[in-house]
Amino acid sequence: MLLLNLAFDLLSFTAIMVLVVLGLGIVASMMGVFNFAHGEFVLLGAFTVWVAERNGFPSWAGMLAAPFIVAAIGWLLERTVVHRFYASPVVGMLGTYAIGLVLREVVRGLTGGQFHTVGEPVGGSFDLLGLTVPAWRSVVILVTLAVVLGAWLLLARTTLGLQVRAALENPALARASGISTTRLYAATFAFGAGLAGLAGALVVPLFSLFADLGLRFLVQGFLSVMLGGVGSFEGPVLGSAAIGMLSAGLPWVVPPILADVLVFVLALVVIKLRPQGFIHRKGA
Amino acid sequence: MRDETKAPTRRQLLGAGLGTWAAVGTGSWVLRPSWANAQTGPIKIGIATDITGAIAYAGNSCWQTAQMVAEEINAAGGIAGRPIQLHLEDTASNETTAVANVRRLIQRERVDLVIGGITSSMRQAIKDPIVTRGRTLYIYPQLYEGQECTPFLFNTGPTPAQQCDEFIPWLVKQGAKRFCLPSANYVWPRLLNRYARKVIEANGGEVVFEEYYPIDQIEYSSTVARIMNDRVDCVFNTVIPPGVGPFFKQLHTAGFLGRGGRLACVYYDENMLNVNRPEEMEGLATCLDYFQALDDSFSKELLAKYNARWPGSQYRFVAGSAATGVWRAMKLYEQAVIATKGDTARQTVAAAFDKASIPNGPGGGAEMVPGKYHAKMNMYIAVAKAGNYQLQQRYEMVDPKEC
Repeated sequence: MLLLNLAFDLLSFTAIMVLVVLGLGIVASMMGVFNFAHGEFVLLGAFTVWVAERNGFPSWAGMLAAPFIVAAIGWLLERTVVHRFYASPVVGMLGTYAIGLVLREVVRGLTGGQFHTVGEPVGGSFDLLGLTVPAWRSVVILVTLAVVLGAWLLLARTTLGLQVRAALENPALARASGISTTRLYAATFAFGAGLAGLAGALVVPLFSLFADLGLRFLVQGFLSVMLGGVGSFEGPVLGSAAIGMLSAGLPWVVPPILADVLVFVLALVVIKLRPQGFIHRKGA
Repeated sequence: MRDETKAPTRRQLLGAGLGTWAAVGTGSWVLRPSWANAQTGPIKIGIATDITGAIAYAGNSCWQTAQMVAEEINAAGGIAGRPIQLHLEDTASNETTAVANVRRLIQRERVDLVIGGITSSMRQAIKDPIVTRGRTLYIYPQLYEGQECTPFLFNTGPTPAQQCDEFIPWLVKQGAKRFCLPSANYVWPRLLNRYARKVIEANGGEVVFEEYYPIDQIEYSSTVARIMNDRVDCVFNTVIPPGVGPFFKQLHTAGFLGRGGRLACVYYDENMLNVNRPEEMEGLATCLDYFQALDDSFSKELLAKYNARWPGSQYRFVAGSAATGVWRAMKLYEQAVIATKGDTARQTVAAAFDKASIPNGPGGGAEMVPGKYHAKMNMYIAVAKAGNYQLQQRYEMVDPKEC
């Protein structure tokens, strides 16, 4: 019984990590940009649900709207600011960090720096094989599976995905073949932002809304991408699954304070032994 | 001929200006009285609190409280004929920034008193620049872990003894036997737990486990499983936000409250009622020096005055934000300076402050325990019912038992 319980909790937190990191991984892999504002896109998704709820809409309506609103904000930021950073990745990290800082502090102002609970559309728990299963966590697991599958199909099986990968591999040749890399980059960045918005909207009922919600996932997110390897779709997904599994699983066997450090130590050892990450594609 | 290339562009000037503004910060602020005593000048009080950063919601209510009290005192003729002038510095939830800003209060403004600091780490960081090197009086207003017995540093918030001595026996009487102490890993929970464990065991309770988590941990499945399997009936919680929201939610989903489990948490005030859904914290018990639900006429009027002074403010007058401690600090200091007839020299005021008392205040009066740097005050037990606190017990002038 305890084992089943453990298995569900591992699966649940792993799904949350994968969902949060997915957009970050796609932007890092497909565009070579480490988006330090990713956590704040997650926060904006969560914030959207809260605003919707406060204005009398049901929380599921906010969850539906969040990915589109955040994608639009992502697109706008890419067109105005982020596209200037492509030439120099370090400036890009600092620049996106600054964007994140501004977004975070604006949300802090608008929420009064307080914590706000947001309702889940499907609350409570149900019994399965004698196990008490939290309903919303189950929904998050299912949605994560669907989103990962959908994103993979989009990027690996469609013409659009092919163009995105071509633009990453050889931008000059892609442009020569009639692909507008400018538009593709904007679209990819917006897609990553939209995924972050969706993640934030779905996890906010579990964690409450607060300004540092995204920051909480930032470090683990980057570790996941490093661990999984930049340049592929599968890498960051596997990396975040590993980090999520470790973060939720280790506290069952060692004191939680030690577990927190151990996750990083283990990840760093793996990165040391395999600097290219779990999965590495040539040309990335 | 002027070299056009070297002249700064408008954009550069704007950038430099913004940069300077960002570096200097907006934290410095002076609230001057509308009148002054020409001979002695105003009494300068420095408020060093978290106007920005993670606990800005608490710092801003401290600042609003300080302004309200200063305005009242000035309108009534000041203290011994001298008005109060407030100097605000932002501690920004960052100890390094705070020390630099607090030095400004001491060295440039030469304030007579500093009130502020909310977290214990902030108090530790700024007390030396204020008390030792700055030779200035310092009042720390927040509930905390105790053991601060520095001369010229007075504490106006509740101590572990005030929050546990009555509260834990009450919990045991309500049926709690098997306690667990899940905690954020920093100094306040560690020292509070050491005290709480003694009181729990002295009252026939049992501590099933005491465990510490990284401050920002938000996943508590292993803890919840342990609580459910070890048949814990009272979770004496010192996990703080952001972890406490998901922790209580996971506990509720696992059926802890449903099987009659009790949550207890001594920093929970009205602000914390938003962190979870009402059903996830039903029956949560807390013990503080003030609740907005108090119905004595002074507390009610005080709250009404605060809300009228700051209409619609999202920073509320609550105990966990240290707002009540700031109110007490200002009023006790007023009494001390009245006793010294307007003399604000540190030695003299500290001697008077050591014996100061106020007949009224949020939750009731307060009385410094001479030589102990802490205050006796009334304590209240409240229980969350459907998203609001219901008062259960009132204890008169509880002893801080410090130093």
